[in-house]
Amino acid sequence: MPEWPAQTKYIGQPTTRVDAAPKVTGRARYSSDIQANGWLYGMILRSKWPAAKILSVSFDKARGLPGVKAVAVVRETPFTVRYYGEEIAAVAATTKQACLDALRSIEIKAEPRERFVVREDEGRKADSPQVWEGVANAPAPRARNTGDVDAAFAECAAVIEGFYTTPVQIHHPMETHGSTVSWTEEGVTSWASTQGISSVGDGLAGSLKLDQSKVRVITDYMGGGFGAKFGAGVEGVLAARLSREAKAPVRLMLTRFDEALAVGNRPSSFQRIKLGAAADGTLRAFEMDNYGTAGIGAGAASEGGGGGADIPAPYLYKVPNSRVKQKAVAINAGSARAFRAPGNPPASYGMESAMDDLAVKLGMDPVELRLKNDPSPIRQREYALGAERFGWKQKYRKPGSSPGVVKTGVGCAGAAWPAGGGSHQTQGEAQINPDGSIEFRLGVQDIGTGTKTVIAVVAAELLGLRPEQITVKVGDTHFPPGPGSGGSTTCASISPTVYDVCTKALQQMQTQSGLADVRGENWYPACKKLGVNPLVVHGQWQPGLSSDHACGVQFAEVAVDTETGLVTVTKVVAVHDCGLIIDKLTLESQINGGVIMGMGYALYEERVMDDLSGVVLNPNFETYKLPGIADVPEIDVVLLNMPERGVIGIGEPATVPTAAAIANAVANALGVRVSSLPITPAKVLAALGKVPAVAT
Amino acid sequence: MNAFQYATASSSESAHELVASNGAYLAGGNDLLSLLKDYLVSASILVNIKSLPGLNKIMHGEKAWTIGALVTVAEIERDADVGRAFPGLHEAAAEIGSQQIRNVATVGGNLAQHSRCWYFRHRDTVCLKKHGDLCYARHGENRYHSLFTGNDCISPVVSSLATVFAALDATAIVLRDAKETRLTMSELYQKAWEDPTAHNSLYPGDLILRVEIPAGRRRSAYLQASDKHAFDWALVSCAAAADVVDGKLKWPRVALGSISPKPHEVAAANEFLEGKTLDEATAAAAADLILKEAKPLEYNAYKVPLAHALIRRTLLKVKGDA
Amino acid sequence: MNIGLPTPSAHSRRSFLKGLGTAAVTAAAAQTEAVAAELEKANTEKAIGPGAVPVTLKVNGEKLKLLIEPRVTLLDALRNYSSLTGAKEGCDRASCGACTVLLGDLPIYACQKLAVEAQGQEITTVEGLAKDGKLTKVQQAFLEKDALMCGYCTPGFVMSVTALLKQKPHPTAAEVKHACAGNLCRCGTQPRVLEAALSAAGIAALRPTHTEVVNA
Repeated sequence: MPEWPAQTKYIGQPTTRVDAAPKVTGRARYSSDIQANGWLYGMILRSKWPAAKILSVSFDKARGLPGVKAVAVVRETPFTVRYYGEEIAAVAATTKQACLDALRSIEIKAEPRERFVVREDEGRKADSPQVWEGVANAPAPRARNTGDVDAAFAECAAVIEGFYTTPVQIHHPMETHGSTVSWTEEGVTSWASTQGISSVGDGLAGSLKLDQSKVRVITDYMGGGFGAKFGAGVEGVLAARLSREAKAPVRLMLTRFDEALAVGNRPSSFQRIKLGAAADGTLRAFEMDNYGTAGIGAGAASEGGGGGADIPAPYLYKVPNSRVKQKAVAINAGSARAFRAPGNPPASYGMESAMDDLAVKLGMDPVELRLKNDPSPIRQREYALGAERFGWKQKYRKPGSSPGVVKTGVGCAGAAWPAGGGSHQTQGEAQINPDGSIEFRLGVQDIGTGTKTVIAVVAAELLGLRPEQITVKVGDTHFPPGPGSGGSTTCASISPTVYDVCTKALQQMQTQSGLADVRGENWYPACKKLGVNPLVVHGQWQPGLSSDHACGVQFAEVAVDTETGLVTVTKVVAVHDCGLIIDKLTLESQINGGVIMGMGYALYEERVMDDLSGVVLNPNFETYKLPGIADVPEIDVVLLNMPERGVIGIGEPATVPTAAAIANAVANALGVRVSSLPITPAKVLAALGKVPAVAT
Repeated sequence: MNAFQYATASSSESAHELVASNGAYLAGGNDLLSLLKDYLVSASILVNIKSLPGLNKIMHGEKAWTIGALVTVAEIERDADVGRAFPGLHEAAAEIGSQQIRNVATVGGNLAQHSRCWYFRHRDTVCLKKHGDLCYARHGENRYHSLFTGNDCISPVVSSLATVFAALDATAIVLRDAKETRLTMSELYQKAWEDPTAHNSLYPGDLILRVEIPAGRRRSAYLQASDKHAFDWALVSCAAAADVVDGKLKWPRVALGSISPKPHEVAAANEFLEGKTLDEATAAAAADLILKEAKPLEYNAYKVPLAHALIRRTLLKVKGDA
Repeated sequence: MNIGLPTPSAHSRRSFLKGLGTAAVTAAAAQTEAVAAELEKANTEKAIGPGAVPVTLKVNGEKLKLLIEPRVTLLDALRNYSSLTGAKEGCDRASCGACTVLLGDLPIYACQKLAVEAQGQEITTVEGLAKDGKLTKVQQAFLEKDALMCGYCTPGFVMSVTALLKQKPHPTAAEVKHACAGNLCRCGTQPRVLEAALSAAGIAALRPTHTEVVNA
């Protein structure tokens, strides 16, 4: 059975990113930077109706405009669009300006549907206008029962009820969705901004009816995905079709406006939770009624996965008596897609808010209540560690007892995520040249997590070289196949694979060179013995080097101005386990990133729909608010080092409990809870009873 | 953006001529380019006015300071003399947008900027301001909207400079039909109060030349409240200015932004404050007067306590240690 | 895979002068100040466009000669009419900072500046910082402190921090935040950007991002 070396030089240490220099100098070419020879600009025309039948699309005027080289309609008319922003048509032209003019000259005949629904509570009503013809917007909820929850509640010493809600959250990676596609006689090449080159290739081949061997996808650099960038996308297929007609490469990137409408989001949740415990805090009964929307993808698996709006419940804790009912409500809005730990941030938020409310009712310390009930020995350890590092005992006060206008408060929350595991199908290769240079090639993506660096670190460790000596190439379907970058499984997929490649490389080099140990100093002499031809070594994922499941707990401290409602997160302590740490530097950055994204979810982010027009009201960064540098707290990271578990993953667990911890801290500060995310000044002031009733 | 011609004007006369009936003045360009990109306005020509002589200076005489309309917000932020004379102006400037925006945004542009209401700014909702039939916000998503309205449009003025200039009794000098016209801040936005299609009282072709601030009030302060800590529009902003003589307020003026189509002031509150010793109680009483006639909508009632807090804090900040 | 430029970017000097008319050529030959000034005024106030016009941009010390419509933004000119793709398009609405470049010494949003009006000024993009491949102090600090992840927002932050340190060689943490408030990041590099900026200024961060490894 393979195993990681006990003493390591690079594994577990901080190693700077191998692609940092190209990124800080602007040399790195992202999918939106590709300038293929003769390339054209592509743009999509989207529905301005939340629900309509598209009868005809005429490009007569558009074709006549200078610079327009190709046009395409999404599908044959007539067809139905079901949300504001759904794709209708696309054009390719020599400039962005020509595309803009062309889009505005496309003539559409449409029959808008008079009635549509954009609010979850409206969509639940039996008479709400159907998003999908003949299908109820809100099917009967699925129910799951254990034990006898009604009897159990009757016997509880303390019972709380709450209604905890979370909004639709948009991924908004800094680089929008899109690709540069070239479709020639030889086939299709797509430089895609994607988390899954194979999923793009698969999607293009299928939609364009091409042999998969004729489709190549390349992603050298991409600007973030967070779960939204799997599959070819409507935009990818359109770009390919335009390229074919224009006989030129087409770069079609979405605008920020488009990103807010049509390429995925995290479903909302409206969780009515009832939680009961015995006098000593042991949880006895849990009841949840949850609904949320995945847009038009409610109930149906959307492209890229993540359809539906269900969340794991009861989250983290084993409650002997429970009743859980959930339903996904369809509305005329863009479909949900997997978004960094799908289902978990809202689940953590609801459950952990209820836990804190229960702790208050019981007069118990919230950490004590968790230690009493959390079945995970790892999280038990993490709560103990984190509480100590955070100074929980010193900082925790009875809710609302902080003096002064600016009230401080603390909160905590836990996470669980089936991270890691690793895709058993991951393969990789290394080309070892006679001059000692070595290049690793894996068909995996680096979405900003540091994948390329992980490869270099593992290879350097096992070959006795320095990471700078390893050339890493990823993101090409011509390379051995790798996993999609999702589920926090990438590190656990590629690390064992690189391990295997190195093991085989060493074996083969030893045989070829006659040297017993070709690592380190012996590397160059051994390579020289290769003669003229390089050695290409293939390897694949091996068991025994990775495992799965990661936990995590986070503590947050906030200061809330009770006159302006402004919430300032002053400190977060994040305690996480992730098995064997490969690169400490990139790992810390991942945790920082998860915390900051969780903070955005807690305080600033929500997709706002307008009832009357059905549009998304905040399709921009001005009113869809992301945390900025002035909002970010001190973040302390505590890593529970468990090298014996092998490589796991961290990307998603890091963002799961943050919003819950912050919400609990705010409730602790104020003595009253804002039970709806995002926690805006308006909601804080309302919770404090300061907002006058409105005369209708 | 639609296609347009471009010219650089070297005098206000030629600028006016070039802009004609369907052109736009291009100063910082921050608001104009956004409007053009979303097809909210159209212009057949953009006339770069940044070379117009004499409009980019900050000058002060005994009686008044003059800030040219082409002075950038960053220049105001950096000017130590301005900071000493009008701390409130400094404070407001520092919070406008981001550094990148402040470096190009001009005083004139900040005053003339169009509504930020998300229905106005949305390309596919044709609201009253866009000569449509209804105000979507009134019974829709109105969390960012006005507490005081003079017409059916409830979009508030968001220029933080206007808020401060109002408290400082400043006057905008506008070139209109080749003549200089003087407009107080109230007058500058009066049309927005009366007419739902208006953002301010400027006519097409009007060119803001400068803002004159009477010297005299030695103290001023500005505060704003937002969802985020930086680079975020104000939910409510407040500016106050006064002299403080023997601990008593002289010539006090308080103005609020983002709660009305014009900088919101209540004469009775200024009168009440005149001659008072400022403390929490008087500040609260003034705030009550300023907000007395507020008509909150379904989602913006939080602005009332928020404004109340800002008024108290801004007044106390003006008072300082006096 | 060929990387080429999308559209012809050169224009002939002859055709440019031709556009000015005979008087221009005479004036240039005569080289009298008054006439030249008159000429400049006439040219300045002459409306150009809406079709493509010659635009010369000074970027990173070099001249970029383009033929573009007046409505082309500086960002569009850099990314789509030249090979300078370092400045990124994140929003095209002056709200994310990914397009930050320097105009003179001032950081601006290239997406909200017309290329035609950026003429005559020194434009610096991220590609113009490192000389002969040697990273600047700021770039090196970003690398060392891992102030980047996917890297898409990174050029913008690097420009903002570079501009700040030029103006304020020893900024406080608050000044760094003030200078970078106009740059968004979705991956979460903000704490390390702050650290990198202070490090580049030779200041050890007051509160560096802190990680502790505890053995289970």
